[in-house]
Amino acid sequence: MLKLIGTRLLLVVPQLLIVSILVFLLVYLIPGSAAAMILGEAGSNPEAIAQVEAQLGLDRPFVVRLVEWMGAALQGDLGTSLQSGRPVADLVAERIPATLSLVAGGLLVAIVLGLSLGVLAGTHARRPVDRAVTGLSSLMQSVPEFWLGLLMILVFVIQLGIAPVVAWVPPQQDAGAWLQGLILPALALGVGASALITRQTRVAVTSALESRYADTLTAAGVPRRRIVWVYALKNAMVPVLASSALAVSILFGTSLVMERVFSFPGMGTMLLNAVLAKDFPLVQGTVLVICVIIIAVNLVVDIGYGLINPKARPQ
Amino acid sequence: MKNTVMKILVPLSIAGLLLTGCGGGGGSADGGAAAASDTLRVNWGGFPESWEPGSQAMEPGYMRVPYETLVLREKDGTILPNLATEWEFGEGATSLALTLRDDVTFHDGTPFDAEAVKTNIEYVRDVVGGQFGGPLAAVEAIEVVDETHVSLTFSRPFSTFLDLLSQRNLPMGSPAAIADGSIKTNPVGTGPWAYDESASTTGTKMVFSEFEDYWGEEPGFPNVELYAIADPTAAAAAVISGDVDLSDVEEETIPTLEAAGNIDTFDYPAIRNNVVFFDRGEGGVFADPKARQAFCYAFDGQAAADLTGGETATQHFIDGEVGYNPDITGYETSIDKAKELWAELGNPAVDIEWPAAPFNEQEVTVRAENANQLPNVNITVQSLSVPQFVSTWNSGQYPLGIGNHAQITPADWYGSWFSETAPSNPSKTVSDELKALATDAQRSGGSPEADEKWQAALKQISDEALVCSHAIGVELIAYNTDRVADVNPAIQVWEQKLVDLRAITPAD
Repeated sequence: MLKLIGTRLLLVVPQLLIVSILVFLLVYLIPGSAAAMILGEAGSNPEAIAQVEAQLGLDRPFVVRLVEWMGAALQGDLGTSLQSGRPVADLVAERIPATLSLVAGGLLVAIVLGLSLGVLAGTHARRPVDRAVTGLSSLMQSVPEFWLGLLMILVFVIQLGIAPVVAWVPPQQDAGAWLQGLILPALALGVGASALITRQTRVAVTSALESRYADTLTAAGVPRRRIVWVYALKNAMVPVLASSALAVSILFGTSLVMERVFSFPGMGTMLLNAVLAKDFPLVQGTVLVICVIIIAVNLVVDIGYGLINPKARPQ
Repeated sequence: MKNTVMKILVPLSIAGLLLTGCGGGGGSADGGAAAASDTLRVNWGGFPESWEPGSQAMEPGYMRVPYETLVLREKDGTILPNLATEWEFGEGATSLALTLRDDVTFHDGTPFDAEAVKTNIEYVRDVVGGQFGGPLAAVEAIEVVDETHVSLTFSRPFSTFLDLLSQRNLPMGSPAAIADGSIKTNPVGTGPWAYDESASTTGTKMVFSEFEDYWGEEPGFPNVELYAIADPTAAAAAVISGDVDLSDVEEETIPTLEAAGNIDTFDYPAIRNNVVFFDRGEGGVFADPKARQAFCYAFDGQAAADLTGGETATQHFIDGEVGYNPDITGYETSIDKAKELWAELGNPAVDIEWPAAPFNEQEVTVRAENANQLPNVNITVQSLSVPQFVSTWNSGQYPLGIGNHAQITPADWYGSWFSETAPSNPSKTVSDELKALATDAQRSGGSPEADEKWQAALKQISDEALVCSHAIGVELIAYNTDRVADVNPAIQVWEQKLVDLRAITPAD
């Protein structure tokens, strides 16, 4: 098991390196000049632009800047926001709780809903319930998250008046209000991602229940509920874990839209504003942090995969 | 069967209890607790990127919460005292002596005095610049006479300087916060509401608490909270549910708001968009007035307004405002006239870009297509992000553009867009006729003839087609009548996101 963890940790190094280079390269694809943006209405003056570019170090060779940036990032220094003049690490730290809350809430909804529906469909394979669940999960996947979010606002806020629009409350301020505010955004976010887990669970449970060991257990008098929830589901967890890791990446992407709908002050809205404002250090820092989180989640999943499935461990 | 019903009912009940905060209360911005009646909650859809005085990013609806200006200006042009109690122009309006209140302090305890005024003028003029700092370039010298007296010397007659002092150009910020740079994120002014960072939630809510040392009359609500609900549907829902008391809203949400029964709305002409021809210098695309006039006749402003829900106008100032001239009839759409004028110029080939932001791309595209009907004219719409657009559209990078003109007086408008030194006149050209008329009007500042003289100057601006295709953007405000009363536009004219927050009172 230690070998598995070591191997996976070693793989993280090149992943981070590639991600860092890509993130640093990406901002060059954004058209326009950061210096012109900082200068505002004076931005058409080439001399002023050159002066600001020199101040920011934008006139130095690409490789020099890349190496410097990576070195600083390793020490937790993600640079300074061009717009606000504040450290990027501070800005990301302010926004990360809202995004992580949203993604974690969405993932919880996706897993609970996906597992429940997947087991329901898997235990009723090729019967009307299975077809209904499959149809429902296709519907859930095709419904745009922002539309679902707006629909929930119309129903739960305007019609029923039982939920707040300004949903975000930091957990340290009021844990109850934080949880309450998270329900609708997490539901809207998690429903789409649950479709993936539903399908994976359904296939795995169906396959497990149709296997010989399930027949043996049934013949031995083991109750069907135990066969499903203990034996079949444990085997099903391997593909479910893999799809959950994929769901995290999807959730990070869709949380950007959901943050706007539910006025969540997360990294998505900050990233969007930073891209529009050509705040390169903030874009780089935010994207890097998101990538690191996703890599970390995949690492945990890989290790969990090994824990569940001994065959996945290096021999 | 009973078992199945319970399986459904139990989770639903738990979800319901969680949603209602386990107490069955209505949703509120404070996480379920009934909002305190001493706090006015306002949503303007976001927060300014910078709160520094004179910042283009800080619209008046934000600015007038923590900040105050030296004077106030009523819609008819009457100047009222505020932080400055008295003023006197010197000979030919080339200097101004201001007397300041002696009982004002900034929220951080810094005294408001003549030094603070000097610091603010210098900061906005020399550091912030842009559309609002640019006109302050005419302030040549600032002399601190004593704590409550400051004297300004102008490089030219500047009889309308008091109008400028009432606007976004120069809200008074704490010199200490300006010096340490914190004013960009933590506004420190002299208003009745002081920013409370510790009570605020980054990106969601900015709390402005009662300023106990406030010098003036107490507002209707001791505290104000600003929210950043950007989505139009969510903003409408927030007003209906009482999460916020007041919000600017989009027209598409009106049916939902009207159906709610507890919402009142009103609108006012808040934004003035004009097409400006920047490339007017020698050899420029629009150096010849006929070229500008041809484009003006080609533009179908009404078609653009129909798409965006705005209104059209013949000139920048509308009927009832200082500067409105009934003799200005504008350029009624006529492609034939446009082609005739263009032919007189020899149908020159023009291949240019017109900048557009997401919020005005339709307007720009319609007008660009109108102009493309002229022979040899090829205008490409250049899509920009909002910050890109705001920082470049009137910088001279593009030969023409359409955008907001925030100036509320003819003198300020001329000084910002058309004079030789105007920050938004990159070609630095002005006709002798217009210069003579404007100088005459500037010199007669304060006299009964001044308005008439400015009307003549504005007619010249229209005749020369320096700007045309005027459009009026409407600001739509919705408020919850269960929560608040006395909601009206502010006494200031056409400022965006501006409601007279001080006059609003709790509903009975």
